[in-house]
Amino acid sequence: MAVSNAPEGSRAYPGQQPREPQKRVLRWFQPFNRSLGTWSFTLNRVTGIGLVVYLYLHLGVLSLLLVGEESWDTFLAVAKSPPVLVMDVVLLAGLLIHGFNGLRVALVGSGFMVKQQRQLFIGMMVLALILLVIGGTAVFLK
Amino acid sequence: MGAQVQPQGQVSAGREGTTGWIGQAVSGVLLLGLAGLHMVGHHYIVDGGLRDYGEVLQWIGQPLILFAEVSFLVVVTYHALAGVRSILFDLGLNEGQKKTVSRVLAVVGILTIVYGLFLAFTLFSRA
Repeated sequence: MAVSNAPEGSRAYPGQQPREPQKRVLRWFQPFNRSLGTWSFTLNRVTGIGLVVYLYLHLGVLSLLLVGEESWDTFLAVAKSPPVLVMDVVLLAGLLIHGFNGLRVALVGSGFMVKQQRQLFIGMMVLALILLVIGGTAVFLK
Repeated sequence: MGAQVQPQGQVSAGREGTTGWIGQAVSGVLLLGLAGLHMVGHHYIVDGGLRDYGEVLQWIGQPLILFAEVSFLVVVTYHALAGVRSILFDLGLNEGQKKTVSRVLAVVGILTIVYGLFLAFTLFSRA
């Protein structure tokens, strides 16, 4: 089975989508009758939204550097606490999943490995998992 | 030109959608390298996993690193806000709403980059 480009049951064209925005978003999370392509679509969107939220949180936190050394180094003590380190691993997971799934999308969309996109998706996620284990372990060992 | 189904399942109409998709793909590929450098440079080659204030200044004080970080800022801001735009457009906005969303996100993007540049160059000047 190939990984479809469009979410299952949706819609090749705008006119076939539900009109209500809530229903369009809820379709991302429909648990039944989903192809691997639909899951990859949902993964990309959910991780993407999470990463945008993190980007602005990160930029906000970096303003402590403008305040000065004491503010930044006080923040570092909090950033090295176990709950924050767990969040770092979640962030790393989001980055790896979004990055490698996005790379698959770019390759397939450019005409490469179109017929192998299911295998490509699985391979990319395995690679992301391996890097997550390595990176996640490093987060706690550092 | 008719509507096109994009690999992420996004539907777009015509040249604007194609240009947007190419922009997302190119910026995404660039981010693999830039985000990788940022993560490794700030977290994986540093004792303790995070740079203290002095180490941050030492890092950003190198012109090549400053260039890489500024490039990262610009590319990640573009990629993030273009992604938000794409998601919002998929909610079924009308043309007027799409224009408003595009303008608001453009302003947010410019403000984000200006703030990031101010931050980066202030730290560079302190290094």
